[in-house]
Amino acid sequence: MPYIYINIILAFVISLIGTLIYRSHLISSLLCLEGMILSLFTLNALLSLNINFTLSTIVPLILLVFAACEAAVGLALLIIISNTYGLDYVQNLNLLQC
Amino acid sequence: MMYVVFIMSVLYVVGFIGFSSKPSPVYGGMSLVVSGGLGCGIVMSSGGSFLGLVVFLVYLGGMMVVFGYTIAMATEEYPETWGSNVVVLSAFLVGLLMEVFMVMWLFSGEHELVGFYFSGLEGLMVLGEGGFEYVREDYSGGASLYSYGFWFLAMAGWMLFVSIFITIEVTRKRY
Repeated sequence: MPYIYINIILAFVISLIGTLIYRSHLISSLLCLEGMILSLFTLNALLSLNINFTLSTIVPLILLVFAACEAAVGLALLIIISNTYGLDYVQNLNLLQC
Repeated sequence: MMYVVFIMSVLYVVGFIGFSSKPSPVYGGMSLVVSGGLGCGIVMSSGGSFLGLVVFLVYLGGMMVVFGYTIAMATEEYPETWGSNVVVLSAFLVGLLMEVFMVMWLFSGEHELVGFYFSGLEGLMVLGEGGFEYVREDYSGGASLYSYGFWFLAMAGWMLFVSIFITIEVTRKRY
């Protein structure tokens, strides 16, 4: 396996750690989630192209469709949090309701 | 520039460290755009020009633009960058140090990673054009979404349609 796969898997692990550790903003964690999806897309595309299995180039496209829907729902949740509190600080989410 | 793809993948990881160290989301979005562009370059160097175009158009041009608007709406007065906060800078430097040590360890030859190599074509050169292959792999794979993968297409289209209603219903005010 070439060395670039190590780098892309490492990028996935780095953005996974970034998703799980909160600082002040909630949207930073959503950005790290998008980074996870980007690294999975890159890995899938490279694997499909390098093993010359043409039919599996569908998989990165479908993954991108699912990522778009997930980003839409995540951003909608962020919007209603921001409507209630003015900012999307994580420390504001202490009431267990929006 | 023999190792251009490997250097691109190292810069890809550095971009990921850049937004994973959680600066203000404006700078995080910029770092994700840079990483997306480099990922497009990596995919294109293996012959996947259609998938690189999909990354730029759909991912960066669609999803990141929506993220950019949302960030511009929910941002603060003094955004903190990598140099203005010790926490963000130290996280970035730790990640950068990790990546440098990993690259040095990979090139030292003192490891026992079974099956990993560097002399393959994927890490070094850009795939040639013009008569190299007789089937454009990613174009025909993308086109087979409409013929063999029709059920994928139907499910993805239905999911996109339903997610509009989900978003409207989530952002409805409850009083």
